[in-house]
Amino acid sequence: MVASEPAEFNDWCPGCGDFGILRSVEGALSEMKLDFTDAVLVSGIGCSGKLPHFVSGPISGIHTLHGRALAFALGVKLSNPSLKVIVNAGDGDTFGIGMGHFVSAGRRNASIALIVHDNRVYGLTKGQASPTMPLGERTKSLPKPNINGPINPIAIAVTSGYTFVARSFAYDTALTKDLVKQAVAHNGMALVDVLQPCPTYNDVNTNDWYRKRIYKLEDDPQVHEESQTLTKMTQAINNSYIMEDRIPVGVFYKNELVPSYEKRINAYIPDYLSNYPASQKIEGNGAPVADLSDLIASKAL
Amino acid sequence: MRFGWLIGGAQGAGVDTAANVFGAAVAKAGYNIFGSREYFSNIKGRHSYFNVMISDKPQYSVDTTVNMLATFDAETIFQHFDQVTQYMLYDKTQEQLDIAKVRSLEPEIAAEQAAILRSAGYGTTVAEVLKYLRGKGVKTIALDYGAAVLGISNALKLDPFSSQRAMNIVCVGASFSMLGLKADYLESSISHAFAKKKDFLELNLRAARAGMNAVGNAYSMKDMPHEKLKVQLDGNTISALGKIYGGLRFQSYYPITPASDESTYLEANQILKTNLGKTGSSQGIVVVQTEDELAAINSAVGATLTGARAATATSGPGFSLMNEGISWAGMNEAPVLVTYYMRGSPATGLPTRSGQSDLKLALNAGHGEFARVVIASGDHMEIFEDAVNALNLAEICQTPAVHIIEKTLANSYSVMDGDAFASKSLSIKRGKIVYPEDPEHYKRFEITDDGISPRAFLGHAQMYYTGDEHNERGHISESASNRKAMYEKRIKKLLQAAAGLDDKKKANIVGDADVVLLTWGSPKGAILDSMDALAKENIKVEMVQVRLFSPYPSELVKKAVSGKKIIAVENNYGAQGAEIFTEQTGIRPTNYILKWNGRPVYRDELVDAVKSIVKKDVKKVVLNGGK
Repeated sequence: MVASEPAEFNDWCPGCGDFGILRSVEGALSEMKLDFTDAVLVSGIGCSGKLPHFVSGPISGIHTLHGRALAFALGVKLSNPSLKVIVNAGDGDTFGIGMGHFVSAGRRNASIALIVHDNRVYGLTKGQASPTMPLGERTKSLPKPNINGPINPIAIAVTSGYTFVARSFAYDTALTKDLVKQAVAHNGMALVDVLQPCPTYNDVNTNDWYRKRIYKLEDDPQVHEESQTLTKMTQAINNSYIMEDRIPVGVFYKNELVPSYEKRINAYIPDYLSNYPASQKIEGNGAPVADLSDLIASKAL
Repeated sequence: MRFGWLIGGAQGAGVDTAANVFGAAVAKAGYNIFGSREYFSNIKGRHSYFNVMISDKPQYSVDTTVNMLATFDAETIFQHFDQVTQYMLYDKTQEQLDIAKVRSLEPEIAAEQAAILRSAGYGTTVAEVLKYLRGKGVKTIALDYGAAVLGISNALKLDPFSSQRAMNIVCVGASFSMLGLKADYLESSISHAFAKKKDFLELNLRAARAGMNAVGNAYSMKDMPHEKLKVQLDGNTISALGKIYGGLRFQSYYPITPASDESTYLEANQILKTNLGKTGSSQGIVVVQTEDELAAINSAVGATLTGARAATATSGPGFSLMNEGISWAGMNEAPVLVTYYMRGSPATGLPTRSGQSDLKLALNAGHGEFARVVIASGDHMEIFEDAVNALNLAEICQTPAVHIIEKTLANSYSVMDGDAFASKSLSIKRGKIVYPEDPEHYKRFEITDDGISPRAFLGHAQMYYTGDEHNERGHISESASNRKAMYEKRIKKLLQAAAGLDDKKKANIVGDADVVLLTWGSPKGAILDSMDALAKENIKVEMVQVRLFSPYPSELVKKAVSGKKIIAVENNYGAQGAEIFTEQTGIRPTNYILKWNGRPVYRDELVDAVKSIVKKDVKKVVLNGGK
């Protein structure tokens, strides 16, 4: 570890669940000995989007567009697969404006860790309902009870092809840090859906509300052999529908048998994992290294 | 010499193959070829056609008229009979067919074509078309495609239904025979085209011979000298080759016409041959088909931050979706390239037709003021050069670049010199790249005199990017004075793009005359090709074709046009390129030749338009050539 400049002033509201996630991410980076040479933090828009700027320690960050963090992350990961890519994005960011990317990320299974800051509201725009707020719930800044039903992030992740799917609670930093570490270490697309209070705009799902309901999952989530896939997926989906009265946290699903997107690319470009797009030499003294002669010859009359 | 040949047929009936095989065979005899493809947004059944221009000199355009019309279905006859001047080949079994029975013909087109026949006093069957043509001195040549193909199919014991696909080659054989060139050229062209489909090779060779035996020599064309390696390439492929040569290593895309062919070609050829020798690791381009254009642009932008040269390719609808990503790239000084295949707009518009209506979108895409490079190519060789140049300028200026290629260039092909693609004048320039010695204190957005900050890549230094206004370190800052400095930096750095760039890469100025044809993109071809014909009418013209739209070569263009009659020639309604010209130079065009019917500018209609402007002082001519 190298000495770093002081972290930026943190302008989240006092008591924000994001602080728990921030500490967990910092802890995970520190314990995994990751810095800017081998990791990058990508984020979306909203309170959670500022996380890369607030992390103390020598790391790089990309604060992207609303809904598009996973798209940026994909480009970073595939052009430099040696980097650990960690995405922080909100629930509106991921499951609203960015839902298309969320689902497609499962199909690819690139090794990206996605940490969703899930507080059921759009905080930075003053508390509108997010895609995870239940039908009929009315937090203090909603003019009417929520007219939309909620989506189930865990179930969607499992059915979309995510190979590591977990849920945590922001104030349980020990669990969150552990799940973030597992997600970052995982070879494949990983989701950690972190439930968090928004002390400013969500007066329904408060810290106390969560603490009364949360319990740790005990089922073995891992697919040890391919024949177990459906059973483990079904188990994860069943557990994901235990909601509102009791809320399970922990790893819902894990499958290391599905090849990552990087491995799939490596099947076509043999040296890809060691000589990836970002490390390939493209010129020598200005002269392009690409030799077009075969391609041109194939078009000869 | 210019000789136009047009072949048409239902999509899926092998019109492209026929045109490619025919063009390659003629090119083997040493001729220059330019082939222009028109088709519907459709998989099978709709009318498509290829207009092939043959010449002793390089050509870049086609005419509205053709010397020979090669048909093997009735729809092609009905669509194109009014274009042919000398010979039409047709299927004699279809003589009694009436235009009303050709259901795939759009009612507007059927009505227009029927009106031509009726107003000349003819009925609307193929037989009546034949009479109409003979009355105009066009010779009609009857062929029995069905019988020819059935005979071959029986002899080779092939399925008669699938053998029908060889009718196109019978038509090619007959056409080729009329040119009087050696049969070997056609046979070797077919052998090359079907090298990977051995089952069909013999069928097609025999189909070509059947066509050649049915019709005699009419033109007695002679071989031209041809010693150089000649290649046949379309615009999509050339753009891909330019990107490979220019160091592209990441391409994302979402399927869209007419852009996807470039990405598919890159994926098919993603493992690269390099001149690094056997010691180097193999190199490859990562090509990703994303879930939408939002992911396409933003993944490419993400890739640039790692140091890979990265791009995406799209057309109008996709480009509209990419706006926010382009804005982020501008804010974060990310050198992403978007290859913009321009087609008929707005909305889905004419998905498979051409147009130049989106120039201003390209120049203004993304909210906010920031530097961007915009280049528009005017012909096939320019596509190659501009792809390399766009990748260079994006990195030199650390800003997004847009490379405009119109559909008409993307889907047309030229026969070109193969060795032109190893040009020593094209080099890779990456601008200010650093590997910081003190990576923890690196400033990605350091304020410098020229506005360009030393650029390090992710993994090599600690850095921050954000779409919010930021300080030199890349952290969010809303300070007024920081904002002022950063805002200016992101714009003034564009001046570096023009430094050291050849004038020819900024604007092509051909000739020196009192009449200037001011254009950009594909009309270049029709303009260059019309100069001889105009000279015969004692009209001397100069062409000023703008290639670099941002930063605009104001002084260069101004100098070329000052005090002259300026005719803006464009494939749009508002003369967008000319409006930019006026904005940048303060000079207004005097006349306009405009076309927005989805088809490229044809040489002959351009000649007529220039004549009426110069000789009759017409202010504006609107063209409507093409089918």
